[in-house]
Amino acid sequence: MRFHAPKRVRLVHKIIQFEQVSFRYPDEEKWILEDLSLTVLRGERVVINGPSGCGKTTLLYLCNRLYPDNCDGVLNGSIKIFGKDSSSFIPGEINHRISTVFQDPDSQFCMQTVEEELAFTLENLHVRREEMEKRISEVLTLTDLSEFRHSVIQKLSGGQKQRIATACALIMQPEVLLLDEPLSHLDPYTAKKYVEWLDELQQKRSMTIVAIEHRLDLWGDFFDRSISLKENKEPPPFDKRKSSKQDDVSLVVNKVSAKSFLQETTFSLNRGEIAVLAGPNGSGKSTLLKALCQLIPSSGSVEPKLLGYVPQSPEFLFLTKSVQDEVGFGGGINVDEMMTRLQLFPIADAHPFAVSHGQKRRVAIAAMLSDGREVILMDEPTSGQDAAALAELFQLIDERACEGTTFLIVTHDMEFAYCLADSVLLMRDGCLTGKFEAGAMWSDEQLLLDHHLLPPKEVMHREACFA
Amino acid sequence: MNPSVKFLAITVCMFTMAFFFDPWTPFVFWIAVLVLQVFLSQINWKKWLLFMLPFFVTAFGYFWTTLVFAEEQSGPVVWSIWNMHITEVQLNHALSLSFRVLAFSSLSLLFAFTTNPVTFILSLMQQLKLSPKIAYGVMVGYQFLPVLKDEFVQIQQAHRLRGAAQEKNALQRLLGIRRILIPMLAGAVRKAERAAFAMEARGFTGERRSSYFQVISIGKVDVVLVVLFLIVLVLSCTNGLWLS
Amino acid sequence: MLKSWKLKEIVLMSLFSVVFGIVYLLFVHVGNIWSGFIGPIAYEWIFGIWFIVSIICMYIIRKPGAAVVSETIAAAIEVLLGNAVGPRLILSGLVQGLGAEAVFAATRYKRFDLWVLMLAGVGSSVFSFVYGYFLGGFSVYSTGYVALMLGIRIASGAMIAGVGGKAVADGLLATGSLRGYAISRSKKGEARA
Ligand SMILES: Nc1ncnc2c1ncn2[C@@H]1O[C@H](COP(=O)(O)OP(=O)(O)OP(=O)(O)O)[C@@H](O)[C@H]1O
Ligand SMILES: Nc1ncnc2c1ncn2[C@@H]1O[C@H](COP(=O)(O)OP(=O)(O)OP(=O)(O)O)[C@@H](O)[C@H]1O
Ligand SMILES: [Mg+2]
Ligand SMILES: [Mg+2]
Repeated sequence: MRFHAPKRVRLVHKIIQFEQVSFRYPDEEKWILEDLSLTVLRGERVVINGPSGCGKTTLLYLCNRLYPDNCDGVLNGSIKIFGKDSSSFIPGEINHRISTVFQDPDSQFCMQTVEEELAFTLENLHVRREEMEKRISEVLTLTDLSEFRHSVIQKLSGGQKQRIATACALIMQPEVLLLDEPLSHLDPYTAKKYVEWLDELQQKRSMTIVAIEHRLDLWGDFFDRSISLKENKEPPPFDKRKSSKQDDVSLVVNKVSAKSFLQETTFSLNRGEIAVLAGPNGSGKSTLLKALCQLIPSSGSVEPKLLGYVPQSPEFLFLTKSVQDEVGFGGGINVDEMMTRLQLFPIADAHPFAVSHGQKRRVAIAAMLSDGREVILMDEPTSGQDAAALAELFQLIDERACEGTTFLIVTHDMEFAYCLADSVLLMRDGCLTGKFEAGAMWSDEQLLLDHHLLPPKEVMHREACFA
Repeated sequence: MNPSVKFLAITVCMFTMAFFFDPWTPFVFWIAVLVLQVFLSQINWKKWLLFMLPFFVTAFGYFWTTLVFAEEQSGPVVWSIWNMHITEVQLNHALSLSFRVLAFSSLSLLFAFTTNPVTFILSLMQQLKLSPKIAYGVMVGYQFLPVLKDEFVQIQQAHRLRGAAQEKNALQRLLGIRRILIPMLAGAVRKAERAAFAMEARGFTGERRSSYFQVISIGKVDVVLVVLFLIVLVLSCTNGLWLS
Repeated sequence: MLKSWKLKEIVLMSLFSVVFGIVYLLFVHVGNIWSGFIGPIAYEWIFGIWFIVSIICMYIIRKPGAAVVSETIAAAIEVLLGNAVGPRLILSGLVQGLGAEAVFAATRYKRFDLWVLMLAGVGSSVFSFVYGYFLGGFSVYSTGYVALMLGIRIASGAMIAGVGGKAVADGLLATGSLRGYAISRSKKGEARA
């Protein structure tokens, strides 16, 4: 059983072909995909969008044949891949030609180090041993990840894992590359670089690329075509908010440091202040938030002790069996309103672990917001959210801040940060470089670039006008 | 040394040992294993002692229970306390069982301390033809261990963060562990599922591989060590000949 | 035998074996300390804990082999982490797993209620005892003592492994994370019927 057949035995033009496909999970009544028809041609670059929870990830799993076998889902209609009915492939055959980058950076690896993970992929493809070394260093150079070759994957930051996942997908030299929100945890500078080399690569190897993405502005004109699973209501773009910062201090962080990586950090936030924490991938943002909540051993002092926290991977916060209970767990003020505004009502009875990625994140946010904490820390609340959810999140944070809640938000979304922040904390190499008042700093390009950030569009726009 | 070979050698030794009931065989063997260990491996002796300690206790337990509960009461009495008479056969059995415990434990600690689990699994797959499906399954499971450990602490902290009640006394805390254990296992289930997805997406089907990135081979060292082990084994089994 | 298994079932089984391999080892140390004072009978009370993984895995996955393979892996992990018994333990793991497997096989992998699970615990107890009798040197003990040991072990197998294993698996089922495994399919079937 080898799939080393010379590529392109027969020149099929239609790579992926869905005809009136309907799909639902075994326990649910609702069809996630209904009567869906679409075609992807060889060498195309297609983006799939649609609101969070509409079934994009599910669609991708149908393309690489992880579903329906692995979830006992109910599938109607026909899916043709490489011109053949998808159920007629022997297991593994499709996965040798199509490679996938999954959505959650935490859960897509099976080996310990980066090198082993890559070698594992090559072994599966029956690559000869002499060739392995070459291909591994080649793909690492290509993706600019050589320094991570011997790193333990579980110890890398969210964004770093996401890049490694792409390297693992590329080493297969696939005909089709499926990407599930590949930029969602990358810092703006790295994201831009990523799109650039993906562009180059696609031209060199003429792969077919199917990506899922909510926010297309980072991609420029990369895609040829977009497929919408559901009509998006275009929400109002958010405006810059007025500061609600009050005079008394509410969060005091004094000389916090952790596990040899995070340097001593001291800062304070006022009541009603919204601070954005930004910096390159792996600069220690998540580590800092965890240290503030005492999730990892750390020294120094934090006042107050009990903080609200939405982690980068929200799953481990969940304690109950339904989304409704989860949001209402901490005593809950106006749970219902929160659920409505974050579009959680349709999944109120679902188990928090069995909803889509963006939904999980919103559940965690809703739970924290209705807990009534004084200070709330959020780790990348914007990643994986559609425009409507983003606008609602913006509103919610704004309202809460006006009521006197203090926010510290990690985000790679510069537009969001620009409109929201009263102040910006910048981090680099485990060290807080400083706290800046929002305003002038947004046009300090050197400062931004040093932290792998790009000026938000509005600022760029304004400068273009002045020039 | 090749882990599979080491594994087989140790297994053979243990099975042979199980058929000897005199005190000298396991004793000689135990000493020999210790000598081998001293000369041939770098072992953290502090750790070794810490692990050995419970086994000394066990050995002692075997010793006295065998004395008290043993079935055979024949042979000349060598020792009597109050109205208990301990015969020579009993004493020999007791000593034999206790030394056997010691010999076995140091042998298995030798194995545990000098074997990297990942290489062991790879070697099982390459030399002993273990099915790759199981081999990689176990490897993935094994690699999740540190993650699960972190998760245990994190779930505990997250519960505190979410304001779940803090238990005061020991019994409640014990029951509280159950509240952490179930989410942790549930997390493990999900991790297993995702890892399986990832493996499949990387083209893993469970069939034999044609080449390995990390080759575990059998070399001269293995032959030499196996011979050494056998010599030790033969010497200790034939101790009757040269000790008496 | 493994042909009909899904990869995710195998990984799940291995992960559980690994987790419980550690639990087992902890209990070995508990047992060791105990037995220093009251002799090998100390193990018998808690012996059921060493069968639990085979029962949990079989209860969840419900495919032939789940009990044997998981128990064997757990034993292997225990050895790698430093169990005194050494590689021989893998064999006893295999024997214990076979004990449970035999019971499930006798029901043709159709019934998984509490009684069957308890019986599987008993199966493991008996198998492991017979094995222990010949290899562990129990033959030097008097008959009464041996019978007592067997009795306690059977009770422990039924209670800790059977009842306890079911409790753990049911707790997991309630969290909803076992969707897509045989255990939740059967629950749905029962609900419909
Ligand atoms: N394993 C599962 N069992 C039952 N329902 C599920 C499962 N996974 C997802 N769902 C539901 O299916 C729907 C689609 O999920 P999917 O992950 O495909 O969404 P998505 O479009 O990728 O969303 P996002 O942009 O937030 O990632 C969601 O409403 C979710 O609640
Ligand atoms: N569990 C861990 N053990 C050891 N080192 C870790 C661990 N988690 C993260 N690190 C290291 O700490 C550094 C900072 O990681 P962190 O997750 O805080 O980055 P981040 O700023 O949140 O990045 P991203 O934007 O990609 O999420 C990284 O270099 C990472 O390798
Ligand atoms: Mg998704
Ligand atoms: Mg992070």
